[in-house]
Amino acid sequence: MSAAFTINRRNFAVGLAAAGAGVALAPSAVRSQPAGRIDVHHHFASPYWLQVVDEVAPATAQLWKKWSPESSLASMDAGGAEKAILSMTTPGLAIDNEHMRRLAHDANEFAAKVRSDHPGRFGIFGALPFPDVGACLTEIAYALDTLKCDGIGMFTSYGKYYLGDEIFAPIFAELNRRHTVLFVHPISPACCTNLMAGITDADIEYGTDTTRAITRMVFSGSTVRYPNMRVIWSHGGGTMPFLEWRFMRESRNPAWKDAHLPDAFIGEARKMYYDTAQVAIAAPMAALTKMIPLSHILFGSDYPYLSVKENVDGLATCGVFTPDQLAAIDRTNTVALLGA
Amino acid sequence: MRKIDRRIFLGGLAAAGAGMVAGSNVVLAQPASGAGSIDVHHHFASPYWMRTADGISPSTMGIWHPWTPQKSIAVMDEGGCQKAIVSVTTPGISFGDNAQTARLARDSNDYAAKMRSDYPGRFGFFTALPLPDIDATLKEIAYGLDTLKADGVGMFTSYGKYYLGDPIFDPIFDELNRRKAILFVHPTSAQCCAGLLQPQITDADIEYGTDTTRAIAHLIMSGKTIAYPNVRIIWSHAGGTMPYLQWRFMRETRNMPKYPDGRQPTFEDEARKMWYDTAQAAVAAPMSAITKMIPMSNLLFGTDYPYNTVKDIRDGLANCGVFNADQLAQIGRGNAVALFGHG
Repeated sequence: MSAAFTINRRNFAVGLAAAGAGVALAPSAVRSQPAGRIDVHHHFASPYWLQVVDEVAPATAQLWKKWSPESSLASMDAGGAEKAILSMTTPGLAIDNEHMRRLAHDANEFAAKVRSDHPGRFGIFGALPFPDVGACLTEIAYALDTLKCDGIGMFTSYGKYYLGDEIFAPIFAELNRRHTVLFVHPISPACCTNLMAGITDADIEYGTDTTRAITRMVFSGSTVRYPNMRVIWSHGGGTMPFLEWRFMRESRNPAWKDAHLPDAFIGEARKMYYDTAQVAIAAPMAALTKMIPLSHILFGSDYPYLSVKENVDGLATCGVFTPDQLAAIDRTNTVALLGA
Repeated sequence: MRKIDRRIFLGGLAAAGAGMVAGSNVVLAQPASGAGSIDVHHHFASPYWMRTADGISPSTMGIWHPWTPQKSIAVMDEGGCQKAIVSVTTPGISFGDNAQTARLARDSNDYAAKMRSDYPGRFGFFTALPLPDIDATLKEIAYGLDTLKADGVGMFTSYGKYYLGDPIFDPIFDELNRRKAILFVHPTSAQCCAGLLQPQITDADIEYGTDTTRAIAHLIMSGKTIAYPNVRIIWSHAGGTMPYLQWRFMRETRNMPKYPDGRQPTFEDEARKMWYDTAQAAVAAPMSAITKMIPMSNLLFGTDYPYNTVKDIRDGLANCGVFNADQLAQIGRGNAVALFGHG
């Protein structure tokens, strides 16, 4: 009985989702496969984290005071998203180093409660209290073993450290051992906060910091050393695809032979995954699809900075994708990666 | 007759690269090397600048030893390039001593003018400016454009903490606007970000492109492209990373300054009025992106010699799968002729 009820509920949710995707599904297809979108880039705020953010960055906190799990669900329903994988966003956890372990742990437990309150609608990329590497390893075990998170979330840089630096080796070794999905989000980098009046860090610096982290990961040899850690980069890889020529030529630099890149930079870049948040428009999508296999492009919204529907409409109208490709980006590619 | 045959032959070589065939009277009007491409992003090094920069930034200067104008000519000939508009490059000419900077600018400009007269029809140049000294810069603009008849002026994306939209540059943009001058903008190692990921990843890989994006965004968002509409700006490296951030800038429209008549432009409206060279971006991903945002008429052939050869970029454009032969010809030459008013 309860199974039948579940199936009916799915049918309802799928119908909504299908309307958003502009796809007409036959009833049999609906029963065998709930076809809603999966949003891999969707943020949340635990009350404790919000309280700390409100103290250190009150302007940022304003956006989050309007957020609730229900506001996420409303945006997901409007945009045809069946499920969102929740992750933390800027300003991250380094806002309170003293209580960072508690911030991360609390955020992960809060996300797990949101997930259990709304079955089937949410997943989680667990937060880590870096730079306490020992605490990160403990939290990885808790997030993945106890909370059954879908993966781990990290930021592109932590002060002067970029992902791929030696300091991350124990974390990556553990994620590699577990075949974990790592979702990477940018942050206002230490170098480049408020450089220019009238232009936010999000406009240029977030994308750039993502590019820095990607290149550090690749040229440090980390993608070769930890092949089972499957990395999702935010925002279509920041600005990385636009700099294809530079990295193509850097791969020929004899100084980097120690990175052991049998497939050069591009080959490594193609093994990783990229979400569509903040890039659901013609120029970046045309570039990304020239460099990265379509199967590695995942739907992401960056909610609450953008609504789910804005991203859906952007992808549908950018002129780069066929309906089949949109369906793959919306769901199939993510199911293949997360097994969800 | 013999001479014309030679012209046609060389023109044919160049045209094969550019994917165009020039009529014989067009060829007659051209200098000896024929109607090859025009490279708007091509660097040179005066001996005085080389000596000075060697002492300050030896690691960046290795590529220049040795360099002579003949080496540029050889690379241009190999890549079917008729003419290169030369400019100074990183580490620039400002090393903290304004008097030295003024000497470096003057020496570079005189040297470029001599290259141009030594090899008729093969070189043009963008006047080097002794920034951040504004008065000296205004004098050098007059010297470069009036006395030396340069093709335009060159600036860097940032000077210390100052980006091109900063009010300190207003007198310069005012003067360039009055003269309807062409401004070529080249990135440099930005103060914020020099050596961040060294040694594995150079500033050129990520930071140059980013600093170009910052300068474009700052110039547009500060209203300077609206205030100085006659300055015709060429951005290096296909705009750095700007086209990839199209969505971010699209959403900044509500924060954009308005036109004098009150209309609200988008960021893209202003970006589309400027020009972008192909140096370091002659490959599928960036070329696919920029052609979605910027009109084909505003793309210019640029190589970044000596960091790339002319042939590297020519072949990259031809093989990237984005352009047909007509478009390659337009980028290779036609668009530059339209912008500069001559070939």
